[in-house]
Order: sequence, then structure tokens, then C-alpha cells
Amino acid sequence: MSETAITRTIVVTDPAGLHARTAVAIAAAVRRGQANVTLIKDDRRVPGTEVLQILTLVAEPGESVEIQASGPDARAVLDSIEPLLAGQFGDEA
Amino acid sequence: MKFADFICSEAILAQLSAQDKETAIREMVQSLCSAGKIEQDEFESIVKAILKREELGSTGIGRGVAVPHTKHPSVNQLVGTVAVSPEGVDFASLDGEVVHLFFLLISPPDRPGDHLRALENISRQLRDDTFCRFLKQSKTIEDIKTILVEADNNQFAS
Repeated sequence: MSETAITRTIVVTDPAGLHARTAVAIAAAVRRGQANVTLIKDDRRVPGTEVLQILTLVAEPGESVEIQASGPDARAVLDSIEPLLAGQFGDEA
Repeated sequence: MKFADFICSEAILAQLSAQDKETAIREMVQSLCSAGKIEQDEFESIVKAILKREELGSTGIGRGVAVPHTKHPSVNQLVGTVAVSPEGVDFASLDGEVVHLFFLLISPPDRPGDHLRALENISRQLRDDTFCRFLKQSKTIEDIKTILVEADNNQFAS
């Protein structure tokens, strides 16, 4: 299977921002996949598997997070992360 | 944001007795009531809001830590407490570990940024193994207060 690397910039539309439950869900999604995933905001790069590091991004509503994924299932993992940043958990902090 | 900005030191619990998620949350919210940070009339409403959000997904973020939280209109600024459970509580955490350290946060509905900055501070400090270990080994409220002050003075994570 070919190795693919994808970068996608996602605007955080969850009214609570990138909060704890979203970070847990992102890390769980990344851990389920095989892709190597990095989240980037401003100059800060953190591994997608680490909740404690994802939360240090402080991504507020309306801000953008760049996600880089490489590996055979990179696109699938990105597709699973994108709705999480859009506020899958609804209006909650 | 520093711990002193949102942790109510009068509500810190060094020996959480609860053995399940709901009882742990009730103990911490009651502690904030007793400290005068939230109204007793709002107790059930706040507990239910936190439990409802836990149903959506656990706030057990791994490394034996959970950050149960909710937005609630009865507070006009972010309030929080810290609790240590020597026995550990099953919180359905990401890594399956029981939770020994709790940071419970209640924030006003219109201030998501404050909540995120509090989470950033908690997460940054928790990445330091020494901070994490010292807090889990705390036996008294004074121990916990001292560790939080040291963290605020940048003696752990940078």
C-alpha cells in the first residue's frame, strides 16, 4: 500500500473550542489508525496521540488547526478527526 | 492562566472517598458549595450537567487524570477544584487507568477561552512527571496547595 501524506487545515467551529473531550476523541481516533498524525497551531506541533499535548494548543472557536497525516490510512484518519473539531459533542465545554 | 486564577483552595480535597464517577463528582461539587463558590441551590443542577457531559464521552484524559466540567449560568467566572483519590476511581479513561487526580471546572457559558486556557495550564503541568507524581502522593490539602503554588511559579513544566 502506498504511503500518502496529507495536510488539511480545519477551522474549529465547536463553540467550546478544542476542549478535553474532543482531545480524547482525536487521540482515540489517531490511536485506532496507523497514520502518523501531527496537529499544528501557530508554531506549536503536537502528536495526535497525546491528549495532554493537544490541549496545550488552546484552539478557540474560529481558529484554525493544521493537521498533517502520513501513512496508509491518512485520509481516513483525517476524515474521522475533522467532524470532531466541528463540534460533534454539541454545545458543551 | 495559573492555578491560582481558577482553583478554589478552600475546596481542595486531599482524600476523595468516592469509588465511582457520580459520587466523586458530587463530592467535588459539594466542596465548591461548602467553600461558597457556588450556591447550594445549584448543586443538583451542576452535578447533573457534569454527569450529562460525561455520558457524551469521558473526561478521563489519561495518566490517572480526569477533568470533569460543565458550563453553568450560575457562575460568572471560572471556578475549579482539585481532588486526589488515593484508591483511584474508574472513570472510563482513554488509557483504561483508574483516576487518582481530578480537576473539576465550572465555567460561565460565554467564556470558552478561559476554560481552554485552564485546560492548557493543567495539561502543561501534568506533562511533568514530577508534578504528576507529587500531586498523586499528596496526603493533605496543604501538600496540594504547595504543589500548585510551585507549579504557578514555574518550578515544574516550562
